[in-house]
Amino acid sequence: MATTSNLTTASDVLSTHIFSILNSVSEQFHKLPGSAIFLRYVKSSYQNDPVRSAVELFLVLFAIRYLLARSYSTKPGKVRLTEEEIDDLVDEWQPEPLVGKNTIFEDADLEKRAVIVGPTGPKCRLQTGRTVTNLASYNFYNLVSNEQLKERAIQTLRTYGVGPCGPPGFYGTQDVHMKIEADIAAFLGTTACIIYAQAFSAASSVIPAFSKRGDIIVADKAVNYSIRKGLQISRSQVRWYEHGDMADLERVLARVQKEQAAKKQLTRRFIVTEGLFENTGDMVDLPKIIELKLKYKFRLILDESWSFGVLGRTGRGVTEHQHVDAAEVDMIIGSMAGPLTAAGGFCAGSDEVVEHQRLSAAAYTFSAALPAMSAVTASETLTMLQTQPDMITSLRENTRIMWQQLDPRSDWMTCTSVPENPIMMMVFKADVINSKRLSLEDQTLLIQDIVDECLAQGVLVTRAKALSAAASGAKSDIYTHRPALKICLTNGLSKKEVEKAGTTVRHAITKIVTKKK
Amino acid sequence: MTSHTTLHRTISFTPDAKLAPPENSSMSSTTKTGRRRRSSSIIYQEPPETVEQISDQAVNPNLNSQWVNAKGAWTIHPVIIIGLKIFFDIIPGVTQEISWTLTNITYMTGSYLMFHWVRGVPFEFNAGAYDHLNMWEQIDNGDQYTPAKKFLLTVPIVLFLLSTHYTHYDLTYFIINFLALMAVVIPKLPLAHRMRFAPFSGAPPDD
Repeated sequence: MATTSNLTTASDVLSTHIFSILNSVSEQFHKLPGSAIFLRYVKSSYQNDPVRSAVELFLVLFAIRYLLARSYSTKPGKVRLTEEEIDDLVDEWQPEPLVGKNTIFEDADLEKRAVIVGPTGPKCRLQTGRTVTNLASYNFYNLVSNEQLKERAIQTLRTYGVGPCGPPGFYGTQDVHMKIEADIAAFLGTTACIIYAQAFSAASSVIPAFSKRGDIIVADKAVNYSIRKGLQISRSQVRWYEHGDMADLERVLARVQKEQAAKKQLTRRFIVTEGLFENTGDMVDLPKIIELKLKYKFRLILDESWSFGVLGRTGRGVTEHQHVDAAEVDMIIGSMAGPLTAAGGFCAGSDEVVEHQRLSAAAYTFSAALPAMSAVTASETLTMLQTQPDMITSLRENTRIMWQQLDPRSDWMTCTSVPENPIMMMVFKADVINSKRLSLEDQTLLIQDIVDECLAQGVLVTRAKALSAAASGAKSDIYTHRPALKICLTNGLSKKEVEKAGTTVRHAITKIVTKKK
Repeated sequence: MTSHTTLHRTISFTPDAKLAPPENSSMSSTTKTGRRRRSSSIIYQEPPETVEQISDQAVNPNLNSQWVNAKGAWTIHPVIIIGLKIFFDIIPGVTQEISWTLTNITYMTGSYLMFHWVRGVPFEFNAGAYDHLNMWEQIDNGDQYTPAKKFLLTVPIVLFLLSTHYTHYDLTYFIINFLALMAVVIPKLPLAHRMRFAPFSGAPPDD
């Protein structure tokens, strides 16, 4: 009896307490001005409809709750640090060196590297005092020693000064630029041409100018670093096809076409390949690619950095060599720094293609224009190519002689370049790799030894050095470069000298390979 | 020698729990990339951006969504609503109830189209980095409960309450206005952030 009375008194106390609180709250509320109006409005809005009033009340409460909520970020990985933690981290921080330490291989490489003193040429003088045959510089027509070109260049320098002091679109274009653009367009057989100040940035600027996020690019696996950078910058979807494999290319094109038809999408589609591949030296099958491009409705971007000025009867490039109309290729990217030994790059195509690049190509709008000296040199070289066709034939002859010395006669290495390519990329034969179980690193070391041995014998050749394919933003290794020995032929050497150099290289290869058992 | 930005997480502090957005735990199994889900493709989360997209977004400020914090961007909403109301009042034969309802519906439709239907950015400056996000998700870089978002959510609610008052709490008008309000409020909720509804926005894209 006593407990129940206790309980009732407890609940009584509680209820009286609650009532007193409510009373005081309502008293305060009634003291507010306008509360009577508000209460009258709420009462009248009820209208005997509890559901609707409940909905409205819920909305009001939801709005108040939303207004009072605290802001937060939805980006993943945001970490808030206290002052102490920040101080700790700052104290612990050790700066990394700007340049990493060299590996042992790189150190050895640096020590043995040949340093040329004076101008480069077919026979160059090294820092050690010796004169060696230079088969490592890109000097196909021996234009670096051409006196006439030097005279013209010096004349232009005195007239125009050194640099254009501005981007081409902002007072940097000079008449020599327009002349070289017209010259190249006329030479190639396209409607128009645009000049870039640096050959490397031509490909990596043309591709993103046309292909954007959401577009599809089908590229050869062995394309060079500049094109890879362009593909990465463009943010397009890239599909790769096996190097030189037209059946694989057709498979990829058909797949893209099918996917797009299923999703009823129509984006820009491009095929990107090179005329003469920088990494392997072989040539593209252009008529077949044109046929595929027309069948599957793609556009073709052809990088002729190493084939313009080299292939074809007059050096017009792979279009002349394989008898294809240059207007069939949508964009021809080329280099004036390689075979033409001037500087800069170009892109040739139709009027619309070229005009679009004048505003959208990053390397044209945001980079200084080509110096007048280089533009004039390029024009002169083009004229020379057209008026002196024996330049090209003698280079081909030299290449043929070198092939004779090396390709069938060497037991250990074979040349992956096409016979018209003055850059010969020598790789180890497959059976040699298998029998000696050579890893890529072993091959690199062997080739470096061959280079050193050739230098000791008076011939300067070089190893093909390339940035790894993974360094250009691909998620996995698309293509692994085969270690190769690079021999660059030149007109400046006589046939006998080329033959002698070829023999030297062959003996060096045999000596090094047979020594390392 | 990587050439893309890497987000360094060498710090091992646990992130603040309040910062975690409300997890969407409906029928979706998030894998590492967040795309492959065989269970349901009716409601799916927009997958997080790739590194390239994040760096493209960080290049320039997002002009498409920045203006909601600018001067006059808040006052324009009441101005537009008053303008619409006047316009609908002018038309002969339109009663007050219909006029309020039409104002409500027009404003809700317009703001839905602008904030939630259209995706991407109308300018060409960031290589399509925002192509998959609608404007509400772009505002303030995806942060929730920011002042701009609070204002933009409150305006439709206030407009709705006004319109129910002026239509004298009639049931049909109430339902119409309420549906219009829901169409605008639900996409603004934090749990609807980056959620895509397949019948409206297409099947989830494969990677």
